[in-house]
Amino acid sequence: MIQPAKPGIVASTVLLIAVFSISRAAQKKVVDQIIKEEQPAVSAADKATIKAFQDRVAQYLKVRAEVKAKVPKLAKDSTPEQIQVAENAYVVSLRAARAGARQGALFTPDVAQYIRTTLKRELSSTEKKDVRETVLDKETTIPVALKVNYPYPDPKEFVEMPAKLLLKLPELPKEVKYRYVGRTLLLLDTDSNLILDYMVDALA
Amino acid sequence: MRGLRLVLAIQFLAICVLVAPAYAQTAKVAKGNASGAKVSQPASPAVPLTLPVADGSVRFAVIGDTGTASKQQHEVADVMVKYHGVFPFDTVVMMGDNLYGSETPADYKAKFQDVYQPLLDEKVKFYASLGNHDQPNERYYEYFNMNGKEYYHFTKGNVAFYALNSNYMDKAQLKWFEDELAKDTSDWKICFFHHPPYSSGSKHGSDKQLREIVEPLFVKYGVNVVLTGHDHFYERIKPQKGIYYFVSGAGGKLREGNVKAGSALTEKAYDADMSFMLIEVVKDALHFQVISRTGETVDSGVIMNQKKKV
Repeated sequence: MIQPAKPGIVASTVLLIAVFSISRAAQKKVVDQIIKEEQPAVSAADKATIKAFQDRVAQYLKVRAEVKAKVPKLAKDSTPEQIQVAENAYVVSLRAARAGARQGALFTPDVAQYIRTTLKRELSSTEKKDVRETVLDKETTIPVALKVNYPYPDPKEFVEMPAKLLLKLPELPKEVKYRYVGRTLLLLDTDSNLILDYMVDALA
Repeated sequence: MRGLRLVLAIQFLAICVLVAPAYAQTAKVAKGNASGAKVSQPASPAVPLTLPVADGSVRFAVIGDTGTASKQQHEVADVMVKYHGVFPFDTVVMMGDNLYGSETPADYKAKFQDVYQPLLDEKVKFYASLGNHDQPNERYYEYFNMNGKEYYHFTKGNVAFYALNSNYMDKAQLKWFEDELAKDTSDWKICFFHHPPYSSGSKHGSDKQLREIVEPLFVKYGVNVVLTGHDHFYERIKPQKGIYYFVSGAGGKLREGNVKAGSALTEKAYDADMSFMLIEVVKDALHFQVISRTGETVDSGVIMNQKKKV
């Protein structure tokens, strides 16, 4: 026979759940706080611009997924030969699937302007100096032909994305990354390093 | 009534665990063997060892900025192999720039596999992080043990290792990192990645933007030690907010004389030759020894666990 729970047990269980929830929230606080501090002020118009940009990236992901389904998949313990074969097959198929891709299709003028304005407004003068020192480092900056739907050139070397700046840019899925080449901001496919798009003069 | 007391007691214990305060961030570096551990292997005069080689300890090597295929990279690896004979470590953590230049199968062979084959033959496992010269697809390479991930976590004994991708510290990585740290009950938490939050390098130096983002997480969740590369020398940083930072970026490249003279950050630095680190964790003590390309010990000491008041 099932006995009704005693009120004391119910109350203390509720208390435990509440403490657990508060504790979990406290544990989350650091990253949430960092993101909140770094998040730029966004107007309603900016929100629409960002959403449209992210929607265009999501459309790209659909094309990407179709291509990925047809090329060799990499296991987590692949040989260099397997990595090379898979990379090459993927790049060739992805380029074919995106034939006709043009500059400015993802970084449309409105989102490009949003990024320029945001970085100029949101980064402090010290942060701008740090960013320029990182991004414009002569030793790590290599000449890159800016051609949409072509791979980032070999030997590939990337400038680190300054951490605080990255948190101010519109969020991207893991399949796509921002990269700087001088003052130009690129959108690259993570697995192929194909240049999906770029915008000039993107450094505050 | 007895049942109610039992339930309340369990809940009280659960509350204590959940809301336990942050640990004290006090630590010290001492010379020599402070752990009282049983030393099971004598040091050879040819391979002088300051590490205890204690039974059941966690042992690993640290290399950074290696992938050149140069004669000097081979020479550093040869010294590592010699030390493996007296200090049998089973793990090597890599600070990034694992492969400079192109990354064809021949490059993987010349810049990594050929260099470290004697250690691979001894079943030593390498765990890589990504530097600015590394392609993301290195994460699939069998000998880098990244399991297809740009950032990942593994444990050995009482030590948790976090390999981060400092090239791209985005929201997704930060959230993953905090989630993992929050549930980690390991005695030791060691992070390794490429760009140094603190460094006295004239060329690169401290990555302040990265520091401002990740340091609050290190502090809150009791990260003990942070290992990095990028600057091509060795440096032990004075503890920052109770955390020990090391730069070990001279496994295959050297930027001679690049440590800023008189830097307030430096506890110990070595920029005259290439180097690697050996680390042994024995209970609450982390022993380290830094060895140059020519086999000279250039730094050593013991760090007591900051979480535990010892």
